[in-house]
Amino acid sequence: MTRTGRMVLLTLAALAVAMWTAGCATVQPWERARLANPCMVFDYNGGQADFASHWQSAREGSSGGFGVQGGGCGCK
Amino acid sequence: MQTLSRVFTATGLAAVVLLFGLTASPAALDVRGAVAGQQAPALRLPTADGTYLSLADQKGNVVLIDFWASWCAPCRHAFPAIDQLFVDFRSRGFRVIAVNLDEKRQDAVDFLVARPHGIDVVFDPRGDSARAFGLTGMPSSYLIGRDGTIRYAHAGYTDKVLDAYRLEIERLLSEPAGGEHTR
Repeated sequence: MTRTGRMVLLTLAALAVAMWTAGCATVQPWERARLANPCMVFDYNGGQADFASHWQSAREGSSGGFGVQGGGCGCK
Repeated sequence: MQTLSRVFTATGLAAVVLLFGLTASPAALDVRGAVAGQQAPALRLPTADGTYLSLADQKGNVVLIDFWASWCAPCRHAFPAIDQLFVDFRSRGFRVIAVNLDEKRQDAVDFLVARPHGIDVVFDPRGDSARAFGLTGMPSSYLIGRDGTIRYAHAGYTDKVLDAYRLEIERLLSEPAGGEHTR
């Protein structure tokens, strides 16, 4: 394959990837049934999560970085 | 060296296309939510028994349109409170249309069976009405004045907003039915 051919191929590939990526859709608020499912929450058992974070900070000196507030509910 | 610069050019071009694609995607072009002062979008949806309920038929009444789904915790919380609003104000010309947005009707039916209610529930599994109103969150509710314009819009629900609802409904109900913007 010539150098030009390779370049054309590369450019086409890059364009294709770009277009696929741009195809991402926003999930609308009323389409979040699956996201709001309790099984989507990382720490479903709040007490257990608190306990885990307690011993992690006590034994391992690690704390923080345990996800964000709100879990999986996509309500707002 | 020339090849390298071409690679950069191609990557740059791809980035431009990507950015363009992202901004031009339908989601980015979404109109913002329906706002107070606008005429309410048309709403005509089936109830549980298959008869259609239309917002246009409610002209002259103050209408609360509540968009909800059984999977949404604050919606579940708001449902009985909104039903109570209906009980309190119905005699003065207040109606509630609760638009259910569950994809599976059975989820909504299971929820409703467990909660006796007086408000009208209509079903929109495809979410066309939600799109028309441009919902920004769940639950969303819109208070429609007697003249059919949106007067108040709420997204989300906590018990604290209930007093605001009462105040707003009271205010809208006290407006004359044949006000200046009517028909």
